Amino acid sequence: MIGPVQVVVVGFDQPGFSGEVVAEFTRLEEVGIVRLVDLLLVSRAEDGTFETMTDDQIPAHFGRVAAGVLGWAGEEDVAPSELEAEASTWSLADAVPPRGTAAVALIEHRWASPLREAILRNGGRALDETWLARDDLDRLERMIALRGS
Amino acid sequence: MLLVPRQLLRSGMTGNVPYYGGRFTPAQAYAVSHSSAPTAPEVAPDAAAMLDQARVPAADPVKSSASRADSQAALQHLLSTGVITQVEYDRLQARVAR
Repeated sequence: MIGPVQVVVVGFDQPGFSGEVVAEFTRLEEVGIVRLVDLLLVSRAEDGTFETMTDDQIPAHFGRVAAGVLGWAGEEDVAPSELEAEASTWSLADAVPPRGTAAVALIEHRWASPLREAILRNGGRALDETWLARDDLDRLERMIALRGS
Repeated sequence: MLLVPRQLLRSGMTGNVPYYGGRFTPAQAYAVSHSSAPTAPEVAPDAAAMLDQARVPAADPVKSSASRADSQAALQHLLSTGVITQVEYDRLQARVAR
């Protein structure tokens, strides 16, 4: 079973991709920590429409899976159930501003699979989940230093 | 290739994490609608007797009505500023009106 997959949307001022990020993902994949499932480049026009982009630094087979998951590929749309209507949703349109360019990565956290299964087996349920902001990370580092390890 | 973004459920690593977009969580809404006066700290029996003698009479209906108006005004402000949804507003207002 696939592990938890995170969607990371990174905006760029100028179209173009150095390949450095892909190289880092490749390194992490080799040690079994994460897997870059797919990487999609998109641009958004002034009128709000999205177009996928290609880049020499990104393997040609990348982008189709993410586009199929994050975009509407023309299949029959399914009306959300009442539960889904009340649940929180998001889309690329929430993340990428008009005239923006973004790289969208689907990252499988392989390290998290055993942890997730253990949590679920023990009846745990998600109450909240977030990342610490930069200022809070600085404070955390100070607290760790005070603790001594 | 043209891409039409699809609406996806927001989720966390271990499942769906409730996300309220800055609005009241159900727990917060419950706390607002069930707010009560702070409970008095435990006091010694002698002090309790003195407090009984000085106890404030039952709530004044006029004050209670004013408090309800204040609550409704506060709820209206929360609604108009987008902190709570119309559904949450209706639910909380019904509780305030009780």
